[in-house]
Amino acid sequence: MIAFEHVGKRYGGRFEALADINFRVERGEMLFLTGHSGAGKSSLLRLVMRLERPSRGRVLVAGHDLDRLHISQVPYYRRQIGVVFQDHQLLFDRDIFANVALPLTIQGVEPADAARRVRAALDKVGLLHRERALPIELSTGEQQRVGIARAVVNKPALLLADEPTGNLDPQLSADIMRLFEDFNRIGTTVMVASHDLALIARLRHRVLKLRDGRLIGDGEAA
Amino acid sequence: MSKRQSPVEERRGEERRGAQKPQRRAAGGGRAWMRHHRAMMGDSALRLVKRPIATLLTMLAIAIALILPAGLWLALDSARLLDAELDESATLTVYFDADVDESEAMDLAAEVGGQPGVAGTRLVTAAEGLADFQQTLGVDDALSQLDANPLPASVVVTPADTDPAGVQSLSQQLQTLDGVDEVRLDLAWLDRLQQLAALGQRVALALALLFGLGVLLVVGNTIRLAVESRRQEIEVVTLIGATHAFVRRPFLYSGAWYGLGGGVLALVILLLGGNWLASPVAALAQSYGAHFALPSLGGSHSALLLLFSTLLGWLGAWLAVGRHLADIKPR
Repeated sequence: MIAFEHVGKRYGGRFEALADINFRVERGEMLFLTGHSGAGKSSLLRLVMRLERPSRGRVLVAGHDLDRLHISQVPYYRRQIGVVFQDHQLLFDRDIFANVALPLTIQGVEPADAARRVRAALDKVGLLHRERALPIELSTGEQQRVGIARAVVNKPALLLADEPTGNLDPQLSADIMRLFEDFNRIGTTVMVASHDLALIARLRHRVLKLRDGRLIGDGEAA
Repeated sequence: MSKRQSPVEERRGEERRGAQKPQRRAAGGGRAWMRHHRAMMGDSALRLVKRPIATLLTMLAIAIALILPAGLWLALDSARLLDAELDESATLTVYFDADVDESEAMDLAAEVGGQPGVAGTRLVTAAEGLADFQQTLGVDDALSQLDANPLPASVVVTPADTDPAGVQSLSQQLQTLDGVDEVRLDLAWLDRLQQLAALGQRVALALALLFGLGVLLVVGNTIRLAVESRRQEIEVVTLIGATHAFVRRPFLYSGAWYGLGGGVLALVILLLGGNWLASPVAALAQSYGAHFALPSLGGSHSALLLLFSTLLGWLGAWLAVGRHLADIKPR
């Protein structure tokens, strides 16, 4: 699903965010990406989302060499990936339903079909009863779940999450992780960047450990 | 948002780069595309209506920029109407020698009438000339002191061809006739009027370009602020796979609405201004013995103005969005 081949990323020609990263992720895998802030987790995810291009090496996702992807194809590529952000990036000027429907809106899905899929996604994260609420009316944990519903409404083959539990208490964090595991169980490849080591350790999935832009560990959490 | 209608009905859409990637155009793709256009047309109008004062001010600025060239164009148009009237009255006056008496004058007038290039003649005898002179100048007293009529008989010639060069050569030809003292023609001022009209047209064109640029800047700046205020939304939709065209669309519609609104305001102001000026202009024209009314923009010209202003608004938005979308990169 994802392959990094000798990937390096420099910003401004000096600061080396990532150096010689090599790893493969198979279809249907679930894995964590850990490391201190500044270790390169976000840079790595940005490369997968094609928000950045590597300075060296190749990034392949679902068979596409992202560097060869024409700029006009990038939007279509991004539609195949679901992304959960730390600050959930909901739009506060519209209700929960509209927020979750956004990816489908962009793709021009028939309204009736879109409504069905939005309700299914909201049901999955347990917020079906709040579809008419505004994001501001929800708790942080609920907002994050809306963000997840938006990421999966499209049934993406790859789900990325950048510190999805960063602002949540342990109980809510565990709930969120369980949601990711549920999506992984139905075949979605899930990659979660997190520094919540205690939580990761309990979940028993593959862990990629980054330090100062280098991959220093790849295996199940100890 | 207090409305409870389904937000999916509010904004939906689809991006298909039809020409380059026809295989991506799923069945119903065109319909989805139309749906998004319709939704954005409504959504952008709604956003303008929600901030009526700011919207009105922007449209007013556009209207003022449109009124100046349009007003000048109207003024030129009226000058052209006057011009046409004057062309018809472009006549030559052939003055006979002072010793030509009335019967000789009639013969001469017939001879002039027989010349090629002469469309018509009207004889003004010496006595008629004096009467005219007295009437127009009101100088009865001074003229009654004279023993004899100092005015020669003359014939007013309407040339068949009114273009300045043709009239000039006709005048030379009439000059050679026996008994003709002088041929007068007022070509110089006709020439000047035409040059003035040509100058006016250039000035109008230059003004139109300048103020068109002004409209672009006004719309561009307004759209720039709109883009800035919706920055987060743009970042998010870009992250989840919106194309540039999708992101740009609502702003392009906003620009077109601004342009259209400005055009409508300009038409209204031109109409009101025309009405306001109509009676003094008519009075002024009356005092010169001319029949002249201010022209107004007809239906087709009004439609053209609206089309032009809408396109300008759209273009201004396109330029602004293109520039600022490049700056907005998701973090």
